[in-house]
Amino acid sequence: MTRRVKRIPTYLILIVLALLWILPVWTTFLVSFKSSQDFVSQQFYELPTQVSFVENLRNVMKIYRLHEHFFNSLLYAGAGAGIAIAAASLAGFSLVRLKPPAFFLLFLVIYSGTLFPFQMYLIPVYRLYNTLGLYNTRLGLILIYGAICTPFALFVYRGFYTTIPKEIEDAAKIDGCGPVRTFFAIFVPQSLPPTAVVALFQMTWIWNDLLFGMVLSRTQNIRPIMVALATMSGYGGGNIPYIMTAVIFTAVPTILLFVLLQKYFIKGMTLSVAGG
Amino acid sequence: MKKDLAVSYLFVLPALALVVVLLLVPMMQNIYYSFFDWDGLKAPVFNGLANYTRLLEDRDFLISMRNTLIWVVFTLVFPVLGGLLVAVFVEGVAGERLFKSIFFIPLTISFVATGIIWTYMFSKELGVLNHVFRLARLPLQPSWLTEVPLNTFSMLIAWTWQQLGTNMVMFLMGLGTIPVEPIEASIIDGANKFQTFVHVKLPMLRPITTVVITMAMVNSFKAFDIIYVMTRGGPYRSSETMAVTMFRETFTLFRLGYGAAIAVLLSVIVIAVSSLYIKRMAKRDLLYY
Repeated sequence: MTRRVKRIPTYLILIVLALLWILPVWTTFLVSFKSSQDFVSQQFYELPTQVSFVENLRNVMKIYRLHEHFFNSLLYAGAGAGIAIAAASLAGFSLVRLKPPAFFLLFLVIYSGTLFPFQMYLIPVYRLYNTLGLYNTRLGLILIYGAICTPFALFVYRGFYTTIPKEIEDAAKIDGCGPVRTFFAIFVPQSLPPTAVVALFQMTWIWNDLLFGMVLSRTQNIRPIMVALATMSGYGGGNIPYIMTAVIFTAVPTILLFVLLQKYFIKGMTLSVAGG
Repeated sequence: MKKDLAVSYLFVLPALALVVVLLLVPMMQNIYYSFFDWDGLKAPVFNGLANYTRLLEDRDFLISMRNTLIWVVFTLVFPVLGGLLVAVFVEGVAGERLFKSIFFIPLTISFVATGIIWTYMFSKELGVLNHVFRLARLPLQPSWLTEVPLNTFSMLIAWTWQQLGTNMVMFLMGLGTIPVEPIEASIIDGANKFQTFVHVKLPMLRPITTVVITMAMVNSFKAFDIIYVMTRGGPYRSSETMAVTMFRETFTLFRLGYGAAIAVLLSVIVIAVSSLYIKRMAKRDLLYY
């Protein structure tokens, strides 16, 4: 009995905090369901007289062409993370199993890419892209996203590949498997866990990126989704029901990723704690 | 055998090339640019350490530096210490899963979306907070995002909302690894809950605490998106932090050399803060091999 009574303050604090945490989410949904008229004439907690979410979404696409940015960013997230996964799994396999001379130095060189704040790359990459004709191109964005994601991905694959028992590989070697076949026939099929971790974290990061998108692109058909979302809001101006609808629309992929790959989330956290 | 060596380098090459060409060479170029006076159009003029000495006299930069420090300190108190307290409160409580997922929701949303949601919450006439104040008949209608220094703290509230969940998850991970025996022993010795926490749990949490504090500090030094979305660093550059100042000097005012110098300073700070934890990692890695 007394134990329960003692717990009441804990519960009170948690419930108040939880409500504070839900309030912005709840109002975001509520506003996105309202028409502009409802939004202006109603109190913030009142339910809309009619559900206008679909109409809001249609307008968001018509006025802001948000779906185009949406597909841009899907491409950037898929291709950027894909490049990082391909490059890092190959490199990880080589550094762990083939151990070329100076393998640890090579690891440090690649891994040092996580050390610096992105501000350190902006000016030179902007210049480089202008010279190479990569400024304001999809390829340019895919490449920089791939490069940024590679060091962490390498860290994950390298850690994972050290846990694959050597015996299988030795057996394969006796059967005449070269390193290329060993990688594709033995390592790749077992790589689901690290790949899921890398995909979850890096695709989310690319999807949510604002800085590189803003600096390295200019036109609507290239700009990623978060740049479009940030420009939509201006200084808190604009049509707020539209903006809130856009917020929900743009959050769908990352929320889906989290739901689908939930069990890899803690694993990825542990890994990024260990090294990222 | 020789072929194997070639293959081993070939496998590393794509990753190495990406990182060297797009990250490491630019990083060094940025250091080089920071010694020049350069508007991006005319040829850069070497001016030695002038960009760096200017940092010390530039009022806008000093304000930005002060804001950055406010961000770091506030982050340590609210998202970090707050995250620890919430983790301790949540652990083992009925409805633990529900509470955890509630604090976790903001993590699935981008900083841009967070900034937009809170811009609405803080909006002067239409915003939820001032609306609640009116309903509660409080005579308070602050301009959350335009009053200095209130705007910085308003953005830090949004930041806390976004960040607390990460820290909570990590502290919960740490709390989960603490064995029961020392806790039971301390209770038998007559320690109350608070004493057990301070003298038993907290010291055993230290590895995680170090990591959480370092990451939180690094992230707050680098804060950009939320500020860019909520105030653009304004009004009159009053709420800029280092990352926002770097962006404005470079891409709005076209002082590329000066922007590069700010980036270098930011990197030095970030690397100094993370060095503690890089050292730990390096030690572990050497044991690994």
